[in-house]
Amino acid sequence: MHFSTSAANDVTVLRIEGELDAVSVTDIRASLNTIAEGKPARVEVDLSALRLIDSSGVGAIVSLFKAVRAYGGSLTTTGVRGQPLAIFRLLRLDRVLIA
Amino acid sequence: MSGTINFTRMKGCIIVRLEVPGVIQYRDIMLRTLSATCKLISPGARARSSRASLFSAHLVSAVGEAYNNIALHGYVGREPGTIRMEIEQGSDWIRVVLADTGASFDPAGARPPDLDALPESGLGVFIMQSFVDEVTYVPGPPNTLTLFKRLDEPREASPSSRRRGPAQRV
Repeated sequence: MHFSTSAANDVTVLRIEGELDAVSVTDIRASLNTIAEGKPARVEVDLSALRLIDSSGVGAIVSLFKAVRAYGGSLTTTGVRGQPLAIFRLLRLDRVLIA
Repeated sequence: MSGTINFTRMKGCIIVRLEVPGVIQYRDIMLRTLSATCKLISPGARARSSRASLFSAHLVSAVGEAYNNIALHGYVGREPGTIRMEIEQGSDWIRVVLADTGASFDPAGARPPDLDALPESGLGVFIMQSFVDEVTYVPGPPNTLTLFKRLDEPREASPSSRRRGPAQRV
């Protein structure tokens, strides 16, 4: 799993590639906390290169979503497809997280 | 630690057996093996590529969650044993049996999550149950979890329907 963040004009873009699962989620948690602590108005999570997500990965994204929403920000995901999209649809996250 | 994998063909079915140490780091090996096996589903099904992709996505998700439960919960606080997986692949169906010697946990006893509350945990069993057609659990040792999924509507009685009761032991 690889991820990167960029910020401009009070928008933070988080791009996650590869697999976000029980093995890799520990690598990203600190960065997710840092994003939320910065309180950007908008957070965009680019998942166009995410191949696989499990319940642990979902938990991490939902946790970030709640943290951003708590201070009045917005979080959306983009490029969700394949297996991650199947997971999002099952958990009804497509209604909440997908722009 | 070591692992083994073997492959056999029997009565038109492909059977892949894999055994790895029961720790989370070996999850990827299991799921990649399963994903590759899904691609062996009949050439006719491959023509319906979006359906075959969804089949694979669902089954890999379900088995991944099952693996997580064993590695992260079944073997917690005890010397980790192994996780054995047997994949039986028919023309338009796949049966996956996972066996472990960790703490028993019957997924039928798990409460479904409240999705409207956007839960951050407790989703694994729900994902597993939702993405396959049949789930059978027999506490052990070894504990055996059988997941069965068919690609299309059954043209004949599925092998799992002829095998009610105890799941196949690997």
